[in-house]
Amino acid sequence: MKIKLIPNNEQDLSKVFIFLLPLVVLLSASINFLKDAFRSFSNVLPGNQVLNYGFLDKLSNQISFNFLFSFILVVTVVYLLSKSLGRSIIIFPLFFLTGLGLIGIEFIDVVLAFISPEQLLDLGNTSVLLLIKILLVGAFLGLILLNFLAKKEPSIFLSSQFLLGAVVFYLISLLIYRSEYTVMSDNFFINSMYLSTHIYVGCSFVFLSIFYFLITKGMQATLFSKTLGTISFWGYLFLLPWTGFKYFYGTTLPDWIENVSIYLSLSLIIPLLALIVNYSKTIATKENKEPVFSVLISFAFVVFGLTNVLQIISSISNVTPIVSLTNFEYSVRYGYMYSLILILIPFVYHLVPKIYGREFIYGRLETFNAYLLGTSVVATLSLNTLIGINSGFSWNAGANAGNPTIYGEGFLITWSLISTPYTFILFLSLLFLLSTFLFTLSTLKAIIGGSVTESETVSEISGDNDE
Amino acid sequence: MSELLAKVAEILGAPETLVQRSAEARAEASGNTVEEVLQSWAGGEAIAASAPAAETSVVEEAPVEEVVVEEAPVEEVKEEVVVEEAPVETMEKVIEEESVELKKESSLIFIAGVLGVAMFTYFFAFAIPKNQSADLVAESLNNEIAVSQEVLKGAQVYNDLNCQSCHTQNVRLLIPDSQNGKILKNKFADEVIIKNTGLLRLGPDLSTSATREPTNNEKWLTRYLTDSASVRDTIPHPNYDFLSTSDLDYLLTYLLSLGEVNE
Repeated sequence: MKIKLIPNNEQDLSKVFIFLLPLVVLLSASINFLKDAFRSFSNVLPGNQVLNYGFLDKLSNQISFNFLFSFILVVTVVYLLSKSLGRSIIIFPLFFLTGLGLIGIEFIDVVLAFISPEQLLDLGNTSVLLLIKILLVGAFLGLILLNFLAKKEPSIFLSSQFLLGAVVFYLISLLIYRSEYTVMSDNFFINSMYLSTHIYVGCSFVFLSIFYFLITKGMQATLFSKTLGTISFWGYLFLLPWTGFKYFYGTTLPDWIENVSIYLSLSLIIPLLALIVNYSKTIATKENKEPVFSVLISFAFVVFGLTNVLQIISSISNVTPIVSLTNFEYSVRYGYMYSLILILIPFVYHLVPKIYGREFIYGRLETFNAYLLGTSVVATLSLNTLIGINSGFSWNAGANAGNPTIYGEGFLITWSLISTPYTFILFLSLLFLLSTFLFTLSTLKAIIGGSVTESETVSEISGDNDE
Repeated sequence: MSELLAKVAEILGAPETLVQRSAEARAEASGNTVEEVLQSWAGGEAIAASAPAAETSVVEEAPVEEVVVEEAPVEEVKEEVVVEEAPVETMEKVIEEESVELKKESSLIFIAGVLGVAMFTYFFAFAIPKNQSADLVAESLNNEIAVSQEVLKGAQVYNDLNCQSCHTQNVRLLIPDSQNGKILKNKFADEVIIKNTGLLRLGPDLSTSATREPTNNEKWLTRYLTDSASVRDTIPHPNYDFLSTSDLDYLLTYLLSLGEVNE
């Protein structure tokens, strides 16, 4: 195995990234587990400035939604952009430096969190590095646009469309996060927009980019309809950024923006249906009969679909007031993130032979891990939904009965309803950590010890597309 | 092949040479053989969609043109010459359009579309309504609150400890908190105080914490914050025994002010 520290082209760069990717996922799962442990047992576990729920929650957001996300984004762009546009990346050295800079700045943010914890904001970014991050994402977007303009393929493939959308909204989300807080409603404006542009659009668009690549190229199937893919793209691009406001229903946000959010969230049914039809019709023509590979893609798709359904359910008029300001939003936030992590695993499995020239064998370990990952993620999302509905009902029922649990007097009742699901989530978090460890193990085993097979050349990366 | 070509030419009412050229162009675009294309035009099975999906719609467009061609003989004999030529032009045009559509899918238009949606979202979902809220507050009569430096320092400690990740200060359905009530009185509130409103209600809401038992009691609060299990072991709450004495004092001052500034 040869990994170049300074890569010459996208294949060399993909080699480095694919090697590091499982380790970053593992880091994210470890911090997430630690955070869940300190949420359920904070009064029993020994705590200090770092080991307490408040800090770990910020750190977990930083690692999952910023560091891991930017890492996946850069990896996906490096491999899929040239693949989709039919040409090798232009101005590659600059592209490499910008991508590396973006990942590096997110990593420095993680380190800075320990040195100067007060700099770390609620959703992860530190105020010190935010401006540099904006400049880097802007430069990265500029380079992607140049590659788009220099494309060789007659049409623009769906994978690259989604990648461009993700980077554009990543930049928008960072601009939003720098806004000033002048009145109370700004807290909800800024955070709901950051959530929906950075996590909802960002994670789901990178997911869809990899998804379309895997169901065509990975599954060796013919895309059923590009029109349906285009409907999904424009539908999600227009609707998703507006869907975050409804989780702050009844707050100081203006009524009209909450209502628009509700109606546009209901409209998510259109791109979702287009996606479902395209997926089911496309995989009907698949030639890759590897069951584990299909199962992993199916799980990722189910989680993504489920998250969209949760978005739609939470827009029903009787449900919205109950789920606002509760864990229900966490189901959606983590739903998009988990679907991205789930699709990443078959993506890495698919790329190992192509990038490293090592055969990837789907054994019992991979089969077991696929089901472990899928079930632990679906169960975690379901429990978060349950907690959201339970606590929401409890807050409302208590307030109506004259015993406002929101103030704390009756909080024991609420806690009795949600403490058990939280304990289960901690257990599932441990299972998720275990499965990410197994994923790392499978990948490293194949890279280091897999039997030699034919790898992809740079020209193949940039020229061969089945979408 | 030639029989098939003649048959198709007869059906379409077009010269054989033109049909041959059209079929070749279609075959190249769809990835099928010329014979398969001719068969589909002659009324056989539709061409299988082995080509990229973008081209599927192109194949489906053909019968529409055929209908136009079939309608031609209904016209009067004098105009027949013109009518016969019309479908020929149309067909050439259609084929040209098909190839244009494949070759010139513009990156520029696509990029402009994405950037347009992004800018629309930024302005209409964020910048404009955010400024409107700020203007509303600026125009209000009572938009100031007086907060001491100790309270502000306490608010900063509260924010650094990320208490807002579990506790809100945003009671719904109460008049002072709904819509403009609370924002009107906090126009010049500190950024940290605004952030402390919180986004997720896991633990109890603290907006009226200083007006209720036992959270209005300084001794109880101190004990709860430094050793929560000794007060209430059924509900997990982090212990902040690592805080410096001054930070703990600031935090207590802030917590004991809640309910007063927001009323």
